[in-house]
Amino acid sequence: MAPLGRAALLVAFGCLAYAALAGGYAALRRRKRLALSARNALLAGFGATAIATAVLVAALLRHDFTFTYVAEHTSVGLPARYRLSALWGGQEGSLLFWLLVLTGYSSIAVLAARRAGQDLLAWVVPILGTIGAFFAFLVVAIASPFHTQMAPPDGLGLTPSLQNPYMLIHPPMLYLGYVGLSVPFAFAMATLLARRGDEMWIVVTRRWTLLAWAFLGVGQLLGAHWAYVEVGWGGYYAWDPVENAALMPWLAATAFLHSVMIQEKRGMLKVWNMLLVVLAFCLAIFGDFLTRSGVINSIHSFAQGKVGPWLLGFICAVTAGSLALVFARLPMLRARTRLESLVSREATFLYNNLLLVALCLTILWGVAFPLLSEAVRGQTVTIARPYYDFFLRVFGLPLLLLMGIGPLVAWRRASLRALGNAFLGPALLAVATGIALIALGAGSSRPGLIAYTFSVFVLASIALEFVRGTRARRSLAGGSWPTAFGSLVARNRRRYGGYVVHAAVVLLAIGVAGSSAYQTVREQRLRPGQSMEVAGYTIAFQGTTEGQSSNARELRTHLLLSRGDRSLGTIAPGKNYYPAERSSSNEVAIRHSYLTLEDVYVIADQIDAKGGGVYFKVLVKPLVNLIWLAGGVFVLGSLITLWPDAREERRLAARYRAEGALVRV
Amino acid sequence: MTAALVIAALVAVAAVLLAALPFLRDPSPAADRLERQDELERRTLELAEERDRALAALKELEFDHRTGKVSDEDYRRLVGPLRIRAAQTLRALEPEVPEPPEPPQPAREPTPPEPVPEPYPPDEITPPAPPLVPEPGPRN
Repeated sequence: MAPLGRAALLVAFGCLAYAALAGGYAALRRRKRLALSARNALLAGFGATAIATAVLVAALLRHDFTFTYVAEHTSVGLPARYRLSALWGGQEGSLLFWLLVLTGYSSIAVLAARRAGQDLLAWVVPILGTIGAFFAFLVVAIASPFHTQMAPPDGLGLTPSLQNPYMLIHPPMLYLGYVGLSVPFAFAMATLLARRGDEMWIVVTRRWTLLAWAFLGVGQLLGAHWAYVEVGWGGYYAWDPVENAALMPWLAATAFLHSVMIQEKRGMLKVWNMLLVVLAFCLAIFGDFLTRSGVINSIHSFAQGKVGPWLLGFICAVTAGSLALVFARLPMLRARTRLESLVSREATFLYNNLLLVALCLTILWGVAFPLLSEAVRGQTVTIARPYYDFFLRVFGLPLLLLMGIGPLVAWRRASLRALGNAFLGPALLAVATGIALIALGAGSSRPGLIAYTFSVFVLASIALEFVRGTRARRSLAGGSWPTAFGSLVARNRRRYGGYVVHAAVVLLAIGVAGSSAYQTVREQRLRPGQSMEVAGYTIAFQGTTEGQSSNARELRTHLLLSRGDRSLGTIAPGKNYYPAERSSSNEVAIRHSYLTLEDVYVIADQIDAKGGGVYFKVLVKPLVNLIWLAGGVFVLGSLITLWPDAREERRLAARYRAEGALVRV
Repeated sequence: MTAALVIAALVAVAAVLLAALPFLRDPSPAADRLERQDELERRTLELAEERDRALAALKELEFDHRTGKVSDEDYRRLVGPLRIRAAQTLRALEPEVPEPPEPPQPAREPTPPEPVPEPYPPDEITPPAPPLVPEPGPRN
């Protein structure tokens, strides 16, 4: 079946290249049938990519080791679910999956953009076609997943750390996020190419941006949880360049989601928004580069890829082309209104944007500097955790505070009296909490204390917004409190969904501060029968056992956990040994407390299976489970924001009635 | 191998057919030009966006005032210019009605004008053309 896969990819490349070239010519010369033809070629590109992907998935599931990719990333003993996830577990397969998501998104975007004018859509097709053709070229010519060989008796297997349920969902989520940023980028550039000064591109891509941003956010949290339970070093985020690769476009997209509201409401920041869209898209491709180029030695990255120079060249070309286009259209992007006051909602959005972009660029510098140093001076430089932690505090804590200030400030201008009234309650509550925390001993970490105090301020201001809004809604329309609350959220989903997302970020901040600033770590070698004390817990080592799964030898230690006189049960950290992969993995044991949201996290190392000693590292992490709870709240807030609003649809339909003529097949 | 090649050929033919469909469907169309915004459409859309912006800002201001985020004084200062701007854009978007010719017969019932479509759903916001010196709304 490999020839079918290769042929399908060639067809996909041909279709996408045609969509790029013919679409570009059609948009330039205003040829309607050619533009439709290019759009259809984009759809055909998706169909052909789907066939190629189906061929590879079938080969993975059938253990067809004549496919080099299958032999290099699976083994006979690998469970079926991980054979499926091997699609994105290796360089070539992940690029094919990227192309599948890209062409799928592109097809839906051009079909669903009902409101977009013909001239705008005519430019969107060649832009998406160009991006698609580039990735199709990579899988056709540089890193094909359809190379064949004489079938070996067994494959090399999948990296053990990737044999985890989170690997079934975390990478696809990230890809949906990374690739989703192509759509707003394509519409933004198409707006400039079509010389349109209106905001239709923002309306059409609003949900796409939110969707991509939400997928990136959820993908990162899932990745953090995977690192926490599987990688086994006791943390969830290590500022690894590949982790940062997903964080950077998310920060840029977060800034864009805020600043685009200023453009919608005030007609300002048009150039800034264009630059943010370009930045988010380029950072998404940069993330792809970091993962696949082989320049970064990380557990997340694919070893020594050949695609690195191509991706780097593409990023440079996209950045240069986009900036040149924005520069050429500057007169069209000039704002007609100005910021009325530095104390207004739009001003807080502006401050938030500056902090988000500063944080994003600081992380980018932390990632890029070692690469540049090695490339230019031949010196290996490592930028370690303290650099990132420092800038997270410098930019992150004011950002947290702004999340509380923003909702309390009115648009356009706010008087000091109104501000005083709005701030009094949340500020008093935050100060009281800070004092109480100092009294309870939380003053040992100043950043932690500040984060907690700011978090209380933000949560109080969000709660106040909901209460005041519900009361106002009730006074307007009457009805019960729950009805008024439902009506309030339904009438302004972006605002109140956004507040729920802010609440998720606060929970995340509390969880991060608690689990890092206030964690307790203890390491000790124990023999069976011995025990150790950590932060009020007693851990007694009982012995070791050995088992066998389909593809691994499993060594487990058994520990009895108790707190005071109360037994909390047995936990079993250990190690797995994978003969096919010639590798081992830490299998940590975590005991969650659903009451205090605290975890006892145990790593077992240097295990002597014959009854000797074992080296244990125990971490007690307060409030760490708030981080995962934040994920649920984040999804809820994103869903509220994304949920279609019939009133808004009617309003936009009225606005774009004149643009109703659609491009049809 | 042969089956795979046949399927591959079919995929390629299907892709070519799909791309050629607009030309096969309409081999010699009367017009083959993509529509583009003319100056009037561009200006209309600009005004429609401006109108929506002004009406949304009014709605936001009313709500912020009602929730206590905007003081009476700020409300009075901000609402006037916003209402004027909303009214201006609404007026600019109204279709121009040509001067009626001299009525030939004096005893004829005039035809009612076509209703202008509502730019906003009726439950969304206070109607346009408000007084220029507004009364502040009730506070909670």
